[in-house]
Amino acid sequence: MNEPGLLRRFVATPRFVLVVIIVLLVAVLVAVKPSFLNGTFVIAPLLTSIAVFTVVGLAQMMVLSIGHMNIAVGQMAAFGAMVSGITFDLAGWPLVAGIAAGLVAGAAIGALTGWIIARTGVNSFIVTLAMSFALLGLVPTIYSSLSAGSAFTTKPAGFDLLGRGSFADVCLVGWCGPAAIPLIVVPVALVMVLVAVLFTKTRVGRELLLTGASVKAAELSGIPTGRRIVLAHALSGALAALAGILLATSIGSFTPSIGDEFMLQSFVGPILGGTLLAGGYVSVVGTFLGITLTLVIRKGLELFGVGIETLNVLLGVILLVALSADRVREVRLRRGRTPDASGAATPEREEVAA
Amino acid sequence: MTTTPLLEAIGLSKSFPGVKALDGVNLRLAPGSVHALLGENGAGKSTLIKALTGVHRPDAGSIVVAGREQRFADPAAARAAGIGVVHQERNVIRSFTVGENIVMERMPRSAGRIDWSKVRGEAAACLALLDVDLDPATPITELSSAQMQLVEIARALYTETRVLLLDEPTASISGAESDRLFRVVDRLRDDGRAVLFVSHKLEEVYAHCDTVTVLRDGESVLESQPLAEHAHDEIVDTMVGRSLGSLTVPTRSAPRDVAPALELDGVTTTAGHHDVSLAVRPGEILGLYGLVGAGRTELAHAIVGLERITAGELRIDGSPARIRSVRQALQRHRLGYVTENRKEEGVFLEQSITRNIAVTVWSSLARGTGLVSGRREREVVSRYVDDLDIRISSLNQLAGRLSGGNQQKVSLAKWLAASPRILIIDEPTVGIDLRTKRAFYELIWRLADEGLAILLISSDLAEMITLADRVAVMDRFAITGEVENDHDYDSMSREVIRLIHADADAL
Repeated sequence: MNEPGLLRRFVATPRFVLVVIIVLLVAVLVAVKPSFLNGTFVIAPLLTSIAVFTVVGLAQMMVLSIGHMNIAVGQMAAFGAMVSGITFDLAGWPLVAGIAAGLVAGAAIGALTGWIIARTGVNSFIVTLAMSFALLGLVPTIYSSLSAGSAFTTKPAGFDLLGRGSFADVCLVGWCGPAAIPLIVVPVALVMVLVAVLFTKTRVGRELLLTGASVKAAELSGIPTGRRIVLAHALSGALAALAGILLATSIGSFTPSIGDEFMLQSFVGPILGGTLLAGGYVSVVGTFLGITLTLVIRKGLELFGVGIETLNVLLGVILLVALSADRVREVRLRRGRTPDASGAATPEREEVAA
Repeated sequence: MTTTPLLEAIGLSKSFPGVKALDGVNLRLAPGSVHALLGENGAGKSTLIKALTGVHRPDAGSIVVAGREQRFADPAAARAAGIGVVHQERNVIRSFTVGENIVMERMPRSAGRIDWSKVRGEAAACLALLDVDLDPATPITELSSAQMQLVEIARALYTETRVLLLDEPTASISGAESDRLFRVVDRLRDDGRAVLFVSHKLEEVYAHCDTVTVLRDGESVLESQPLAEHAHDEIVDTMVGRSLGSLTVPTRSAPRDVAPALELDGVTTTAGHHDVSLAVRPGEILGLYGLVGAGRTELAHAIVGLERITAGELRIDGSPARIRSVRQALQRHRLGYVTENRKEEGVFLEQSITRNIAVTVWSSLARGTGLVSGRREREVVSRYVDDLDIRISSLNQLAGRLSGGNQQKVSLAKWLAASPRILIIDEPTVGIDLRTKRAFYELIWRLADEGLAILLISSDLAEMITLADRVAVMDRFAITGEVENDHDYDSMSREVIRLIHADADAL
């Protein structure tokens, strides 16, 4: 029972393919357009959006872990961000307290969604779709009744530093960090670590995965599946809210359109990264890499002056490819059950998701 | 016999990982006969039916239909060759009417559109042929399970089926419904078709079948013999075999003087049980025997809180207990439930062996920091992998890649890891080869000797008589009696069968 080394295991995963593609893509972009390496105008905004959308991807991954979907991920982001915006604009709360309020609001709306799903047994697609419509109406209504010009613009201390600051703003004994790396990556890296620890090290995280693998077997193994469903949706709502708030700090104000672009991206990242749509298997690093790939492509096409419509067509194609890859992997896994299929075709799936 | 058989299997073999499900099976279905296919659970009856209808592809042997050798690529090919099957579970389209369900495999069309009047007409003709009084326009959901079964037979007739395979058609229908089914079967026989009839109820087999084939551990030990030449007891012996005779049953003295660990007192449940009482003492194996559909698994579900107990009392160690979930059963009472359906309920096929076994102990491994120690987890899992002799290549191997027997061991190891005091084991050896079966028997004895109170559910009578200290018999969601096991197969089987039919005769 000798376990292969970490590096060898990583090379055998879809993640490795993503890393190779991303590196090649960046190399080509730099070779053709050296301006791609411009720190302030290209790299920093790219990293900011990678950071925000990684959180969006993790929000979706949270419910994918139990085999559910969250169609309302964008609207939950809008809702959480709105609550933060209200605490800043109308109550004058400090940064951390306001963000906490937004996260709690996101978690609450997610928990409600999860509770409805667990209680009624209605498919998560339907329930989150309904939730998405409800919030789509509610959020702009609240914005227009509570703010002038449908935006919350009050910025508490530290707001701009979080959303627009870079390591150039962090100086230690006269030496400052690079301006190309925005500060926003710090909280996002922290969130990635926390989510990875949740799924690999904690009982609750593993129980989420087993609930996704088979609800019936999970219930019969003593896992409180109802509570796990509520938890997965609550965490999804909280992460969506975090993504919405981070996006607001980077664009400088809270508006009802926050989260509009989240839903499609939220699926592309995790699925490209190896998370199973059917549940039971997630990858935090994979989600990050999947998001990175799509955003590098987007940035590259932007540099070449390609319009947003073309970008969306491309995003659709990528999603289709990713979904087919997911299906192929599932079929291969299923075949793997009967050893009469070629035994070497299916590698054992590594235990560590991150 | 001079007539050409309508369907003949010659030397049919089929293997699955770890199990030889069919081993050189021979079967001849003659026109105008009702042929009984008998055998214990796991003997290979369903596999044979699947091999005959194109679901499984046999590894060796041939299938001859009316004198011509055939290889079925899929179930549709078997249907086209005139072989129809009605499975134990109902297989109808719930949004369709009776008529649509009958003709759905070949919808009558005119000018490219479905000819609805023809649909009704032809469906009605099929039903009339069977002498079944049903309106083709009725939505299928308004029918009882037994009526749906008849609709499925009508569907088979519509596609000109010459050979009809019926897999335990009477397992879940009432006596009156069975009578109607048999009238239909008789008509098919008189019409010159062949019917293969799978059943565990020997009485109805003797009443309606003329030929018999018995499967045991994948082999046809009695091949297409006239049923009248074989007495009831002889058939039972052939089914069970004395192959387990070499297994030495230990002389166990189940404790009598201790208080029961698990006790049901006049329990009525939402699953439909009425007035069920039984008691299991520490160190004792209580067998719960019954046919498929008798309510045994449902009783286990009621004990672990998946069904509600509406009257009577569940007592653990003498004090009343209310269990609402498997988790509560485990954490409050150290009661474990090894499920019947291991592929869907017992193991997580696409998860590692470590996760499959450690799921019950994470909460105890995670104390303090809240993080599960991977090292301690591997220690626990390795201990049970060694202890139960589970054959794996790595702890990270997916459970789905193990053989059925090893999967079942994983399913059991999960509960043993949680050190239970009471264990409900539901059909532990279905679809498991003989060698692993014995390993299981020895393990279950050992667990009882270590002081576990074990409630063993099985529809394998030989297994019951081998393992249990006492056997409680369940029929139609009630306990019809309890027998002290004297480990003598003949007297025990007679007694148990009598208890099953005691209730049926009263109706």
